[in-house]
Amino acid sequence: MNQNQNQNQNQNQNQSQQSSDGRHEDDTALSEFLASLMEYTPTIPDELVEHYLGKSGFQCPDLRLIRLVAVATQKFVAEVATDALQQCKARQASIVKDKRDKQQKDKRLILTMEDLSKALREHGVNVKHQEYFADNPSTGMDPASRDE
Amino acid sequence: MSDGGGENGSEQTQPRKSGGDDFAQAIAKVAVAQICESEGFQAFQNSALETLSDIAVRYIGSIGKNAHSYANLAGRTECNVFDIIQSLEDLGSVQGFSGASFVDHSLSSSGVIREIDQYVGESGHIPFAYSIPEFPVVKERKLTPSFFQTGQEPPDEHIPSWLPVFPEPHTYARLPLPDEKAIEPMIRMELQKDRKVDQSVLNLHQRLVSNGLEGPSSVYPGDPDKVKQAEESNPFLAAPLEFGEKEVSRVILPAKLANEPALESRVTENHVMNNRFAVLETFAPAIEAIKEGSFDSEGQKRVLLNRRPTVKFKIGIGKKSFGSMIHSTPENEGLKKISPWFKGESEKDEKKRRAEKILKESMENSQELAQL
Repeated sequence: MNQNQNQNQNQNQNQSQQSSDGRHEDDTALSEFLASLMEYTPTIPDELVEHYLGKSGFQCPDLRLIRLVAVATQKFVAEVATDALQQCKARQASIVKDKRDKQQKDKRLILTMEDLSKALREHGVNVKHQEYFADNPSTGMDPASRDE
Repeated sequence: MSDGGGENGSEQTQPRKSGGDDFAQAIAKVAVAQICESEGFQAFQNSALETLSDIAVRYIGSIGKNAHSYANLAGRTECNVFDIIQSLEDLGSVQGFSGASFVDHSLSSSGVIREIDQYVGESGHIPFAYSIPEFPVVKERKLTPSFFQTGQEPPDEHIPSWLPVFPEPHTYARLPLPDEKAIEPMIRMELQKDRKVDQSVLNLHQRLVSNGLEGPSSVYPGDPDKVKQAEESNPFLAAPLEFGEKEVSRVILPAKLANEPALESRVTENHVMNNRFAVLETFAPAIEAIKEGSFDSEGQKRVLLNRRPTVKFKIGIGKKSFGSMIHSTPENEGLKKISPWFKGESEKDEKKRRAEKILKESMENSQELAQL
């Protein structure tokens, strides 16, 4: 039992003494990756990440770990954004062709709640907003006329 | 989604309108907008951007919370890489990652890290648009230095030297109070001083009055002594005179009008009085009284009656009503009869009329004053 727990802990920290050569390779790869983060500046600023990590009780003086969290968050947001972009493109493509001519002028890619909630649902975030939620004056009209 | 950052879970989708976190929220919005822009978006719905930035912030909080709990599980207070990786794996388990199915997989070769590594390699290098000051701003507290730091000896043995030094003794030490008997003469002295000051002020007033330079009166009602004194020195405050107690002179007319035959009798009468006063001089007491703000009507009246020997009017050309001026007094009746003949020489007529009007008014005024 005691030994089992020890093993688990060792696995958690990945500093198991029953190390093999493969493990060593992984460790060097990880430390290399962390070192590379020092040169990479994520879009999410370190101060912001530090602030919110501090609020959650996270304590670490290592800047590399904060960068790691920043990059992970950036990746998450980017994935959601990519999904939403796909949703947006799919929605624009599904519009009937005769209406597309009118649409040409406003073919900008806009991040809308509609697409975002669909994208977020895939990531386990359940966002629901009211159908009548008015972001701009055109909301609330039927989709076809709204897009004109 | 687990509630990250200890924030209110009920507001998961709606960004908070207020709270001390507006600055961080705004930064998160900018950062998220930058990421979305790099992914190909050209515009945002405001609510969508707010939602996504809120979720990003909660994602950070979740990572921190999970990593912290893993560190605590291992008996540490500070997190290390493996706690974060574990936490990322937990959050990524919805999507899934390579190697997730192996229970005993190595954390250092985790699929999550590989994915992040890949993302770092692929994504463009977009730094945050603004430089951010240190936040949140924490006020630096200045602590009172301890006995040890200041090098003082604690006043008593039972006080350890690491405690902060006492404040200045006069802030807490109890001062000996003089007993009441000692205080009473002091109070009396103070009162006497006050009285002396009052008297000197009064003297000054009297001197000013005698010089005719009296400023605003500082005599307050309710102090009989002072009122009496003030009455002696100030004519405005004296008791009013009865009607007829003092002779009031008639109004004097300008010399021009004296030539008019219709008014001759009166004018001659007026001319007898030789003491003339300028208008301003005549009304000076009244003006002064108004300025002083003493609304003692009795005093005012008395002064007006007393100091109004003659009134000299200067006639200017103003557009005042001429027509209504002529009253049917015996003197005016002659004028009335004549007036149609003077139509040609209207200037003369006008002058005459005005003189008449002024005379009348002054007469009425003096009568009214007397009645008062």
